[in-house]
Amino acid sequence: MEIAELQNKIYAFCEAAKGKKKLKEKDIIKGVSEAEGVPGDEVKKAMRLMIDVGKLMYSYGGGASSVEIPSEEYLREKGLIK
Amino acid sequence: MAIPQRKTDVGPPHYKQFLPPVIQKNYGKWKYHEVINPGTMVHVGESGDKLWTVRVASPRILATDTIREQCDIAEKYCDGYLRYTTRNNVEFLVSDEKKLEPLKKELTAKGFKMGGIGYGITNVVHTQGWVHCHGACTDASGLVKAMMDELYEYFDSKRLPNKVRLAVACCVNMCGAVHCSDIAVVAVHTKVPQINHETFKNMCELPTVIGSCPTRAISPDPAKKSIKINAEKCMYCGNCFTVCPPISIKDPERDGVAIVVGGKINSLRTNPKFSKLVIPYISNVPPRWPKVVAAIKHIVEVYAKNAKKHERIGEWIERIGWERFFSLANIDFTFQSIDDFTFMRDTMRTASTFKWS
Amino acid sequence: MAGKKYNTPLIDDLEKGPWPSFVTEMKKAAKKSEMSNDALGHLEKCYATKKGYWKHGGIVGVLGYGGGVIGRYSELGDEFPGVAHFHTVRINQPSAFFYTGKALKEICDIWDKYGSGLTNVHGSTGDLVLLGTKTEHLENIFAEYSSRGWDLGGSGSALRTPSCCVGPARCEWSNYDTLDLTYNLTQEFQDELHRPSFSYKFKIKSSGCACDCVAALARADLSIIGTWKGDIKIDQAEVKNYAKTMDIKAEIVDMCPTQCISYDGKEMKINNKECSRCMHCITKMTKALRPSGERGATLCMGSKAPIVVGSLLSWVIVPFIKLEAPYTELKDLLRKIWDWWDENGKPRERIGEVIEIKGMRSFLEAIGVAPQPQQVKEPRKDPFMFYTDEDMAGFKAKEAEEKKTGKYKF
Ligand code: HEM
Ligand code: HEM
Ligand code: HEM
Ligand code: HEM
Ligand code: SF4
Ligand code: SF4
Ligand code: SF4
Ligand code: SF4
Repeated sequence: MEIAELQNKIYAFCEAAKGKKKLKEKDIIKGVSEAEGVPGDEVKKAMRLMIDVGKLMYSYGGGASSVEIPSEEYLREKGLIK
Repeated sequence: MAIPQRKTDVGPPHYKQFLPPVIQKNYGKWKYHEVINPGTMVHVGESGDKLWTVRVASPRILATDTIREQCDIAEKYCDGYLRYTTRNNVEFLVSDEKKLEPLKKELTAKGFKMGGIGYGITNVVHTQGWVHCHGACTDASGLVKAMMDELYEYFDSKRLPNKVRLAVACCVNMCGAVHCSDIAVVAVHTKVPQINHETFKNMCELPTVIGSCPTRAISPDPAKKSIKINAEKCMYCGNCFTVCPPISIKDPERDGVAIVVGGKINSLRTNPKFSKLVIPYISNVPPRWPKVVAAIKHIVEVYAKNAKKHERIGEWIERIGWERFFSLANIDFTFQSIDDFTFMRDTMRTASTFKWS
Repeated sequence: MAGKKYNTPLIDDLEKGPWPSFVTEMKKAAKKSEMSNDALGHLEKCYATKKGYWKHGGIVGVLGYGGGVIGRYSELGDEFPGVAHFHTVRINQPSAFFYTGKALKEICDIWDKYGSGLTNVHGSTGDLVLLGTKTEHLENIFAEYSSRGWDLGGSGSALRTPSCCVGPARCEWSNYDTLDLTYNLTQEFQDELHRPSFSYKFKIKSSGCACDCVAALARADLSIIGTWKGDIKIDQAEVKNYAKTMDIKAEIVDMCPTQCISYDGKEMKINNKECSRCMHCITKMTKALRPSGERGATLCMGSKAPIVVGSLLSWVIVPFIKLEAPYTELKDLLRKIWDWWDENGKPRERIGEVIEIKGMRSFLEAIGVAPQPQQVKEPRKDPFMFYTDEDMAGFKAKEAEEKKTGKYKF
C-alpha cells in the first residue's frame, strides 16, 4: 500500500475513535495492521511521520498517553495553520 | 535573534566532558574515601591522587542566579566542575588541596551551608506540593524547610547512630520515594470526593473513572449521567480526581499529613524495608507545621538515645519490637496503624510472644 | 521589574532559619520574571487558604514528541496571570549529574529567556526540571536546547529518563560502569523515551552496589544493582589500624547478617561462601576490605505502588549479569521484557502488576530466564500450582532415568 493511502486509513481509524476511546500507539498499530493487512512496523512508521508533521499528535490524560487528531488550537500554536 | 534549527533524539550530552581530569584519570580506580567532617570528604585513588568533595545544601528549587553563583564558585576553585547528588545537594569537586580552605571560606561568606555527609541528616527528598502540583494536600518545600531548620545541627555537626533519611510526599502518589525512608511525611486527604455532575458528562469517561478506583467505591449513576461514590469503601486516594477533573477531593480543613518510619533502601545488614505508619494525622499548619516538625525531632531523639551504633531506625525498631517503639516514643497506637488493606496477612502478629510495652 | 508587589507574610517566614530557603529562590527569580513574581503571590494564597490551585495537566508538548513537557495551569489565572500557564520542561541530565559551570550557565541563559527562571535541580526521576513556561515558548525552548546538545526527558506512558549513582566516577565500591550504562541505554532507547508506546511508564535506575544510592530497588521498574562473585580481599595491616578506633567484634563481626566474619583480635577472616554481599563490612572498613573476582549486577524488576496486591520493591529476576559495553545481553533482555509487557499489559498497568496478574512463570519463560532459588525469599507455601504437560513429561522422564541408573535425582 502507498504510504499516503495507509496514512489516510490511519487517520480514518483515529477519526472513528474520536471522543469514544483514547487510542494508544499500540491500538492504532494493531487495529490498522489487522484491518488493512499491513505489517505493524509499516503502520508505525507511517503514523510516526504523521505525528512529526502534526497530522496526529500525542496526548496525555488521566495518567496515560494516547494518540489523537490535533485540535485547531494545537495546530495554530505549532504554526501549522493560521 | 534567530531560533536555531531543532534536532530530535540527540539524547543527553556525554558525561565524560563534565568529569574533572582527576576523575577521568582515576575512573573506576578509587581506593578508599574518608569523611573529614560532615561537609567534606576525600577520595583517594590507587594512583595516590586525591579528590576533595565539599557538599552544600540546596532547597532543590533554585533560581537561575543561584545556579550561576554555584558555577562561579566552581570556576574559581574547581576548574569549573561541580555535580549534584540524588538528594539534590551540590558538590564542589576540588583536586588542588590548596583551594579547599579558600573554597570553604567563600562558601561560608556567601551563606552556603556545608554538611550532609555521614551519620547525620542530609537533604530531604520531596515532591512539588503547592508550588507546582494539582494533587497536593500540603506543601512539600515548606515542610522541608521547617523540618531542616529545626534539625539543622544534624546536617552540619551533630552525629547519630546511622544516617536518618527523610522524605516528604505531598499526596499518596508519593512521587518522592518516601516509602523506604527512615522517617517520612505523607500528605493525606481524609474526605470522600465531591462530584460536579454537570461537568462530569462532558469531561470524563465513565469506565475509566469506575476503573480508577482501587476499592471499587465508584458505581454509575444513570439518572444523572454521572457516578456515585460509596462512602464506606472510599479511602480518599484521589485517583478518581486524577482521571476526572470534575471530581474534587481537596479540603483545607481535613487535608493533613501522616508520619511513617523505619524504612531503608540499601541492603546493608538487613533487606530494604518499607516505612510504617506511626502517626496517622496531623493538621496542615503552614507556614511551619510545628507539630509535624516536633514529631520528627522527637522520633530522631528517641532513636539517637536508644539505638546501637550502625543501626538504622527500622533495624533498631525491629530489634526492640514495634510495641516497645510506641511506648518509648510515647505515641498513641491507632486503628490506622493496623493494616486493613493487602498487607494484613503479613503484618498481624501470629504468636503470643510480645512485650507488654 | 515593574510587576505587582505581593504581600507575602506567611511564606516570608520561610526565609528565616539556617536551611536554604526556596522562598528566597523564588524571590530571586521574581526580580527578573513576572511569572515567578506571580508564582510567589499564588503560593502565598495556597498557604493562607491551605489549598492548592493547580489544575490537571493539559496536553502540551513539542512536535513529534509525546513527553518531556508537563502541562500545568492555575485555576487562578485571572488573579495571577503569570501562572495561568506554568508548564514544566524536563531536560535529560548527564549521567550522575556532573556538569561544568559553562554548560549550566548556558542552560540558565536559555531558561531565563523563555521561562520563569525557576528550576528543580533535579526532579526525583533525575531530569533537570525547568519550572514554569508558556505554551507558545515550547518549540523555541526545544530548538535552543536540542541544537546545543540537550534533549528532553521522558514523561507519560514511555521510558522515563534513566538515572544512576555516581559509580566509578567517584566511588570505590562500584561493580560496573553505571554512568556509561545509563548513557548507553538512554541513547539506544531514544525512541522509547520520546514517543510513548508502552502501556505505562517504565523506569530504569542503576546503582553500582547494594548501597543503592539512587534507590533503584524502590522506584524503578528495572533496578540494576551491582555485585560481585569473588572473595572479599582483606588487608590485615589496615584491619589493625581500624582496630584502634573501632570495636571490630561489635560493629563488624556481630553485625554481619550471615555471621561469616571472625576476628581474634589480630586477624580478620571471612568465610566468603556464606557472605551475601550486603556491603556492611566493606562500607565500614573501606581501606581494609574490597571485593574481587567477576563483577556485574543483579537485575530486579517491578517496583510499583501499593495498590491492591501490594508488592513494591523490585523482585530479583536475573541473579547475575555481566555489564560491559555494548550491553547487548541486557538490551536484548529489555526488548523481550517490553514485548511481553506489550502483549499482556492493559493501559496503565506497570510491568510489576502485569507480572502479578499473568504470573512470574509466564514472564520468566517469555524472557528466557530459568527458575532459581536466588529469586525467592522462600518457596511458595500452598499446594495450588500449575503443571503443564511438559512439566509432567519432564518429571516422568527424570523418573525413567532413575529406573535406569538406580539412583534418585530430586
Ligand atoms: C508511605 C508511603 C509511600 C511513600 C511516601 C512513597 C513514596 C515514593 C516515592 C517518593 C517514590 C519515588 C518516585 C521517584 O522518584 O521516581 C516512590 C517510588 C515507588 N514506590 Fe513508593 N511510597 C510509599 C509507599 C509505597 C509502597 C507501600 C510501595 C509498595 C508496596 C511503594 C512502591 C513504590 C515503587 C514501586 C516505586 C517506584 C515507582 C516508580 O518509580 O514509579 N511505595 N515511592
Ligand atoms: C485503595 C486505594 C487505592 C486505589 C484504588 C489506588 C489506585 C491507583 C491507581 C488506579 C493508580 C494508577 C493511576 C495512574 O497511574 O494514573 C495508582 C497509582 C498509584 N497509587 Fe494508588 N491507589 C490506592 C491507594 C494508594 C495508596 C494507599 C497509596 C500509597 C500509600 C497509593 C500510591 C499510589 C502510587 C504511588 C501510584 C503510582 C503507582 C505507579 O505508577 O507505580 N495508592 N493508584
Ligand atoms: C496516579 C498516580 C500519579 C499521578 C497522577 C502523578 C502525577 C504527577 C504529576 C502531575 C507530576 C508533576 C508535578 C509537577 O507539576 O511538577 C508528577 C511528578 C512526578 N511523579 Fe507522579 N504521579 C503519580 C504517581 C507517581 C508515582 C507512583 C511515582 C513514583 C513512584 C511518581 C513519580 C513522580 C516523579 C518522580 C515526579 C517528578 C516530580 C518531582 O521531581 O518532584 N508519580 N506526578
Ligand atoms: C500445602 C498444603 C497443606 C499442607 C501441607 C497441610 C498440612 C496440614 C497438616 C499437616 C495438618 C495437621 C494434621 C494433623 O496433624 O491433624 C493440617 C490440618 C488442617 N489443614 Fe492443612 N495443609 C495444607 C493445606 C490446607 C488447605 C489448603 C486447607 C484448607 C483449605 C487446609 C485445612 C486444614 C485444616 C482445616 C486442618 C485441621 C484439620 C484438623 O486437624 O482438624 N490445609 N494441614
Ligand atoms: S506526590 Fe502527589 S501532589 Fe505531590 S507531586 Fe506527586 S502527584 Fe503531585
Ligand atoms: S478517592 Fe480513591 S477510593 Fe475514593 S472514590 Fe476516588 S478512587 Fe475511589
Ligand atoms: S550505589 Fe554503591 S557504587 Fe553507587 S555510589 Fe552508592 S556506594 Fe557507590
Ligand atoms: S558483605 Fe555483609 S554478609 Fe558479606 S561479610 Fe560483609 S557484612 Fe557479612
